[in-house]
Amino acid sequence: MTSHAPLDKNVHRDLRVRTDVGAALGDAVMATLTVPSEFRSVQGHFPILFRREPGQGDFMALALFGFENGENLMLDGDRWDARYRPWSLAIQPFLVGRPVGGEGPGQVHIDLDHPRIAQGGEGVRLFDEDGMATPYLDAIAERLGALDEGYRASGEFFAALRDHDLLEPFTLEVPLTDGSKHSLVGFHIIDEAKLAALGADTLGKLHAAGHLMPIFMALASLSQISALVERKNRRTRGG
Amino acid sequence: MNGMVGRVVIVGGGTAGWLSACSLAAARPDLSVTLIEAPDIPTIGVGEGTWPTMRATLAAIGIGEAEFLAACDASFKQGSRFDGWVNGAPNDRYFHPFTSPPGMPARALLAAWRDGPSELPFAAAMTPQVHVCERDLAPRQRAMPDYQGAANYAYHLDAGKFAALLARHAVQRLGVNHLADHVVDVRADGQGGIAAVVTRENGEIAADLFLDCTGHAALLIGRHLDVQWIDRGDALINDRALAAQVPVSPGSPIASQTVATAHAAGWIWDIGLPARRGIGCVYASRFMDDEAAETVLRSYIATALPDAPDVPIRKLSFPTGHRARFWQGNCVAVGLSAGFIEPLESSAIVLIELSLRALTENFPASRAAMPIHAGRFNALFRYRWDRVVEFLKLHYVLSRRDEPYWRAQRDPAHVPQGLADMLALWRDQPPSTWDFPQAEEIFSAESHQYILYGMGHPAPDGHATERARAALAANGQRARTLAAALPTNRAYLDALLAEDGAGPAHMEGH
Repeated sequence: MTSHAPLDKNVHRDLRVRTDVGAALGDAVMATLTVPSEFRSVQGHFPILFRREPGQGDFMALALFGFENGENLMLDGDRWDARYRPWSLAIQPFLVGRPVGGEGPGQVHIDLDHPRIAQGGEGVRLFDEDGMATPYLDAIAERLGALDEGYRASGEFFAALRDHDLLEPFTLEVPLTDGSKHSLVGFHIIDEAKLAALGADTLGKLHAAGHLMPIFMALASLSQISALVERKNRRTRGG
Repeated sequence: MNGMVGRVVIVGGGTAGWLSACSLAAARPDLSVTLIEAPDIPTIGVGEGTWPTMRATLAAIGIGEAEFLAACDASFKQGSRFDGWVNGAPNDRYFHPFTSPPGMPARALLAAWRDGPSELPFAAAMTPQVHVCERDLAPRQRAMPDYQGAANYAYHLDAGKFAALLARHAVQRLGVNHLADHVVDVRADGQGGIAAVVTRENGEIAADLFLDCTGHAALLIGRHLDVQWIDRGDALINDRALAAQVPVSPGSPIASQTVATAHAAGWIWDIGLPARRGIGCVYASRFMDDEAAETVLRSYIATALPDAPDVPIRKLSFPTGHRARFWQGNCVAVGLSAGFIEPLESSAIVLIELSLRALTENFPASRAAMPIHAGRFNALFRYRWDRVVEFLKLHYVLSRRDEPYWRAQRDPAHVPQGLADMLALWRDQPPSTWDFPQAEEIFSAESHQYILYGMGHPAPDGHATERARAALAANGQRARTLAAALPTNRAYLDALLAEDGAGPAHMEGH
C-alpha cells in the first residue's frame, strides 16, 4: 500500500528525503519509465525498450538496467554506477497528483510510505526554516513537471508509432560468458527496416510533430545493450 | 653501524607520541618504531580541536572516519566563532570558517561585499559555511566517502580517547613496539646527539633517531640536549587556564564550531562533543587572579548550560614559547616539548601533524644527512612558530575593548614587528599569498582575512567585478542548498553511534 499526500509546507515542514542510493531505497529495479522528451539524455547510458503493460493497450518506454526482475546492474552497493539517473527514479518519492476528475495543473505529491522518506534527521529537507521550498524541492518540482509533460505527450508519439507500424517485438538471448543464456522477452523496439522504408512525406510529418528525434534516439540507445551484457558478465564472473 | 637510519625511538605517548608512531610506521613500514611511555603519567589532554589537515592525516595512517568519530567521542569542527572580541557588545561576534572565500582576487570580493546589496558579515558573505554553522549542521552526509564533505571541516575530540585509538592502531595494525617503562637516563653519542635512552625495566634502548614527545618535561630536547627555550610571553600574555568538562543532555544540539568568548582578561573556550562540552577559561595572571577566573568560568557555564551539575575544575599554568631549535643532533621535538601556545586557534595538534609531514617526507637516510635536514626543519618551524604567534596576536590587536588587559594586548611595544608591518600593508591591500609565501602555511592569507574583516578592519579600495558579485550571489544559493541537505551534528553522530552500538562501548556496559 502506498500513502500519497499532496505536499504541504505546514504538514511536511520538517520532512526529509534520502537522496543516497541503494537497494533498500527502491533502486533495485531492472528498468524505469522514461518519456520521449528524455530519450536524448537516456540513450547515451541505457537501452530504451518499449513494452505494453499486461491488460493495457498503451505502450510505455523503459530505460533498461538489468535482465531480470530486481536486477539493476547500475547499482553497485550504495553507488549509482552511471552518469545519469532517469527522471522517474530521480523524482522518487514524489509524484504528480491531480485533483479528482483528473484535469487541472499537476501538484507535487509525496509517497509517505516510500523508503526514501528519511527517519532520524538525515536526508534533504523540502522546506527551510522559513517555510520556503529548498533548492532541492525546486529541482524536484522542475523534473516532475518535465516528466509529467513528457508522459502526457507520449500518447501521440505511440500513436504515430502504431500508425506507421514502427514497433517490432524484441527477444534478446543474452549469452553469458559462463555459457548460460538469459532471455529477455516481451519487449519491443523500433523496426529499423520499416523506418528506413518511410517516404519523405511521412518523415516530414513525423519530424514536424517532434517524433523523429526520439525515434532515432531510441534506435541509437540499442548500442547500450552490449555494455549492459558486459556488466552482467562481470557480475557473473565476480560470483 | 653503517650510519643508516633504521631504528626510531619515540619517548612519550599522548597525542604527539602516538600520532608520531602512526605516521612514521604508516609512511615507512621498513623502519623499526618503538614508543616508550611511562605507565603512570597522565597526558595533559588539552588540544581538543584539530585543523582540517587531520582528515588527510587519519586517511594516511589508515583509520576510517566512522571508527575515528565513534572511538574519540568526536564531533565536526567547521571553524571558530569569536564572541565579544571587538567591543564586548551583545551582538559582537564573527566567524573564522575553514572554507575559503571564492577563488578570485580578494580586493574585488571585498568591494562586492562592501558595496553589495547584502547586509551579511564578511565571513557569511564569503562562504555558505557560516549559514551551515549557525544551524548546528554537519559538514557532510553519512553516505559520502570518508573524509569528504560539502564544506571544509576538522574535528573536536576527546584527546585521551584519541591517543588510545592511535595507540591501538599503532600496535595492532602498524607493528609499532610499545614499551611501558620509565626513561631514567640518556646516553650521549659523542657527536651532539643521543645514542640510547636508559629505561628502568628494559635497560638501554638504542636508536638512530629519537622523537621527544615528553610534553612540557622535554626530557630529551630540553633536559638532556639543553636546547634553549624562547619565551614568547611578551606578545601573548595569557599564562593560565581553568578547564572543565560539562555533561550535556542527550539530544541537545552540538555546535559546529569552537566558540571563543572574550572576557575582561582573556577568553573562554567552548567545544561541543556528543556527550559533554569542554569549557575553559584562559587568562593572564597579571590581570586576573585564579578566583576571579573561576567566577568568570562558572558564570559562563551557568549561562550556557543552566541545568549542568557542579563540575570539578582543573588549573593549568603554561609558559608561552618554543625551542630555539626543534631538531638537534638526532633528536626531533614533536608536540609540547617543541613549544606551547594558548589554544586560541587550535595550533597544537596541527603543529604535530606538520612536524610529522616534514619529517616523513624528508626522512633522513643516514646520520650524515641529519645536519642538513635539521637546518631546514629548524628554519621552517621557527618560521611557523612566528606565524602562529603573529596570527594569534592579530586577534587581540584589532580589539577595541577597553579593559586594562585588552589595552595591554594592543600595546605597540609588544606587537611583533612582522605583524606591525603587515598591519601597515593591510591598510592598502588585503592579506594575500604575497604575505604568506610558504607552500604549507599554517594560517593562510584567507584565515587572516576572516579575522581582519570579521573584526571590522576597513576594506581597502577596489572595484567589484561581475564575477565577484556572481560568486557572492552563488554563495547565498549554495547556503540554502546545504542547509536543506545536511543533517544536524546531533542527528549525524547519534545515527553513527547507533550503528556502532554493538561495538566495544556497548560491551563495556555488561
